[in-house]
Amino acid sequence: MSDATLTLIPPESVTTPRVEVNGHDPRMLISMRNIWKTYQMGTEKVHALHGVSFDIPRGEYIAIIGPSGSGKSTLMNLIGCLDTPSEGEYWLNGKNVSEMDDDELARIRNQEVGFVFQTFNLLARATALHNVELPLIYGGVGASQRHEMAKKALQAVDLTERMTHKPNELSGGQRQRVAIARALVNHPSILLADEPTGALDSHTSMEIMDLFERLHSEGNTIIVVTHEHDIAARAHRVISIRDGLIEKDERIR
Amino acid sequence: MFRLTAIWEAFRVATASLRSNKLRTALTLVGIVVGVAAVIAVVTIIKGLNQTVAQTFSSQGSTVFTISKNPQIIKSREDFIKFNRRKDVTHEDAEAITRLCTACWRVGIAANAVETVKYADQKAENVRIRGVDPTTMFDIDGVTINVGRIWTESEGAAGRDICVIGPDMLKNLFSDAPADRALGNEIRIDGRPYTIVGVLEPLGSIFGFSRDNVVYIPYSTYQRAYGGRRSLVTFIQVQTTDQLEAAEDQVRTIMRSRRHTPPDAEDEGFALETQDVFLNLYGSATSNIYIVTIGVAAISLVVGGIVVMNIMLVSVTERTKEIGIRKAIGARRKDILTQFLIEAVTVTAIGGAIGVATGFGLAYVISALIGFPLLVSVASAVLGVGVSSVVGIASGLWPAWRAARLDPIEALRAE
Repeated sequence: MSDATLTLIPPESVTTPRVEVNGHDPRMLISMRNIWKTYQMGTEKVHALHGVSFDIPRGEYIAIIGPSGSGKSTLMNLIGCLDTPSEGEYWLNGKNVSEMDDDELARIRNQEVGFVFQTFNLLARATALHNVELPLIYGGVGASQRHEMAKKALQAVDLTERMTHKPNELSGGQRQRVAIARALVNHPSILLADEPTGALDSHTSMEIMDLFERLHSEGNTIIVVTHEHDIAARAHRVISIRDGLIEKDERIR
Repeated sequence: MFRLTAIWEAFRVATASLRSNKLRTALTLVGIVVGVAAVIAVVTIIKGLNQTVAQTFSSQGSTVFTISKNPQIIKSREDFIKFNRRKDVTHEDAEAITRLCTACWRVGIAANAVETVKYADQKAENVRIRGVDPTTMFDIDGVTINVGRIWTESEGAAGRDICVIGPDMLKNLFSDAPADRALGNEIRIDGRPYTIVGVLEPLGSIFGFSRDNVVYIPYSTYQRAYGGRRSLVTFIQVQTTDQLEAAEDQVRTIMRSRRHTPPDAEDEGFALETQDVFLNLYGSATSNIYIVTIGVAAISLVVGGIVVMNIMLVSVTERTKEIGIRKAIGARRKDILTQFLIEAVTVTAIGGAIGVATGFGLAYVISALIGFPLLVSVASAVLGVGVSSVVGIASGLWPAWRAARLDPIEALRAE
């Protein structure tokens, strides 16, 4: 998948040589195989995703783009292990996530996924430092190590001086950087951002996107879910979703 | 390690959330505080009473029983009429028991009247005048001389106008003068002069009634002053409790044979009672108070628990977003469950602690007013906090379970 000349990967027909072990490609960080998500709306069945397959190798910077109602939020929830597919297999870092129960998913979210949300989703009553420590608390990391790791994460997003501030004492950009520090503190496999600049002005948005770029260059795997093309354009690969299917999967850089 | 970290986090979150809603927390606490305080106050007061009562009766002790015409507690009108038809218990009965009962150690007779006692221009009202014979009645009553002496048997037999006064008389008639200053003075009871020969040691009070508000006079003197044909009470003391039963049997036989009571008689014709009568009555009365109060307190704890549950449900709804965030970053069901349970238990345990303190405070005030010892027991304090914590778990469980089951995606969507 590091083939730089590959610009278009039609859905359902990935052309790169594939190694299948137990139904997934072990070289890939994320392996989605024929994913369906069906919701029961009254008597009617609504397919939010019908048969989505793709792979994401480690270290990629990828954007998932699509209009509202396209199924991109559903896909994001699946990638982030907030939900499980109705059908199909999802392998994340060698683990078959599609068959996990609630608590196993919580563990995967804690260890493998770092979420960045549009509205930051910080705990209002907690300081920046405590917010960043939270994943470590649920990960069972001891207090002193936790402080150390959280401080480092805040350092990585240039917020060392604002550690003891609460979210309402921080600007939007600073809040989002706290959220990014929280997402990264546990060294997850993927950084999953849902409209990360949706609540920010354009200048701050660029700062955050620059930060993503830097984090990518440092080796993080980044997935940005957005409906804005200029945000998606910062990624190296763009998956376009429409009507529950992959419309385009193109490498742009 | 993991559990401790999570529990500490839950505790931090709980206290922060309680602090941020001070009024709500205070109102939630009230329900628990009232319930626990009521239980603690009642338990403490009754413990104090129990001790007082136990001490009081043990001064006369379980070695004493009495023979009288009427039992001390009459339960119905029919009984009252029946008992009034009985023969009086007389001085001769007491003499027969003294002579014939081998298991008996001390035998005495006593009769009581309530009078106003005067000295110079001082007056003491509602004083118990106790005519006793022989002087061993002082031992049976468990009273001892502080200053002066008891009258001699010959003085008693002669019906001299002499008396031994309880310490309350010093206070009420002699302006709290030292006991020896009262000796030799003449007090007047119902117009008759009595010379004070001794002053008793204080016994204290029970239920606010002083046991020192008494004047002992010889029975012959009492008979002359108040008339002879009154039924009296015969007191019998045995040396050790294991002789009690034998003594009771002997006394029963003596009484029945003196009165020629047939063995199949419907009514025995006299009342044989030990101090257990009082203790049993007291015990059943206080145990009812116990049960009723604890029942009422339990209801208020249940109400308090419902308040806590309601508040916790509100709290869960308000913090749906927070729960979503926590779940998204890796909180498991039991982490969320623990968090809200600890929050509920923290409120109720604090309420319990305040309730324990309030309860002891109440008991202190009441015991100071009535005048009995305050027995602060660690066990009831621990129990108070423990029970309220259980209430916290019981009322927090459902809201916490609801929080734990929230779907993270929907929870994150909440505002």
